[in-house]
Amino acid sequence: MGEQVLYFEDVADGDEAPVRSLVLSRTDLVVYAGASGDYNPMHHDEVKAKAAGQPSVFGHGMFSMGFLGSAITDFVGEGNVRRFQVRFARQTWPDEDLRTRIVVTGKRVEGDDHLVDLDVRLHNVEGEEKVVGEATAVVPSRT
Amino acid sequence: MDNVEETQVADDILSEIIGKPTGTTVVTVERGQLALFAKAVKDENPVTRDLSAASEAGLPGIPAPPTYPFVMGNFGVYPELQSEDAPSANPMAAVLGPLMAKGGLILHGEQEFTYHRPVFAGDVLVGEGKVVDAYQKESKGKTMTFVVVETAWSDQSSGDPVCTSRMNIIHRV
Repeated sequence: MGEQVLYFEDVADGDEAPVRSLVLSRTDLVVYAGASGDYNPMHHDEVKAKAAGQPSVFGHGMFSMGFLGSAITDFVGEGNVRRFQVRFARQTWPDEDLRTRIVVTGKRVEGDDHLVDLDVRLHNVEGEEKVVGEATAVVPSRT
Repeated sequence: MDNVEETQVADDILSEIIGKPTGTTVVTVERGQLALFAKAVKDENPVTRDLSAASEAGLPGIPAPPTYPFVMGNFGVYPELQSEDAPSANPMAAVLGPLMAKGGLILHGEQEFTYHRPVFAGDVLVGEGKVVDAYQKESKGKTMTFVVVETAWSDQSSGDPVCTSRMNIIHRV
């Protein structure tokens, strides 16, 4: 199975990428801890998180950015991202229903590169923003 | 004493760390680790697992998901590949250590990646970190301390730039 290809000509301002959704589990956080090497106990040790005054363990900011990154590469193709920037607005919590929102904000040609600019966000189903940022991808042209 | 005074860092201590290196790391990017990371961030694209899918997509190898450069220094850092003159002291600790001793939280405020090319399984990359900014801001009577660290990753064999990672760390009371 090959990946879907997004062509420059097929993209317009305001287009939205398919939404990725995830009900965050503690297992997701444990898997991310191991795969990233981030063993901060606030993300996997409920006892320590509560002792530190948190209601429970909470998500790694970089897990949020990573999940959003997967939605971006699903849309523009793996290996095509040129820039990806976010601000971490709020913590994520187990059992939260998280959604990506990726909107095309511009298209431009720079030299031989066909670039697509994106507004990228991760929010919960109630609309509370977790991660807010922007990305630029280089995509193939049909010409 | 209120929080503002307790957490103020002298301007010269902040300005002194700007430009200071945070260390040089040589990383071997491994396919197994990339596959684990792709699974952890729910990247289900077959090109992150299957070399023939990657080649069909026109990629010269198995690509890393976009946020992998943030964590790749945690794996594949083999002692015999490290440079001998790598700096050992972390200038971030000079600012954040004393602040943490007084309490508060360290938060990851912002993160940015700029890619010159994708990272691929099999790459041997050199990461050179440095503090690019350090400053304080008052917010609601509390002092927030910001330290920005940039890591420039390049291909060890060609010296060509691969990716720059810019991390904004905040200490908040």
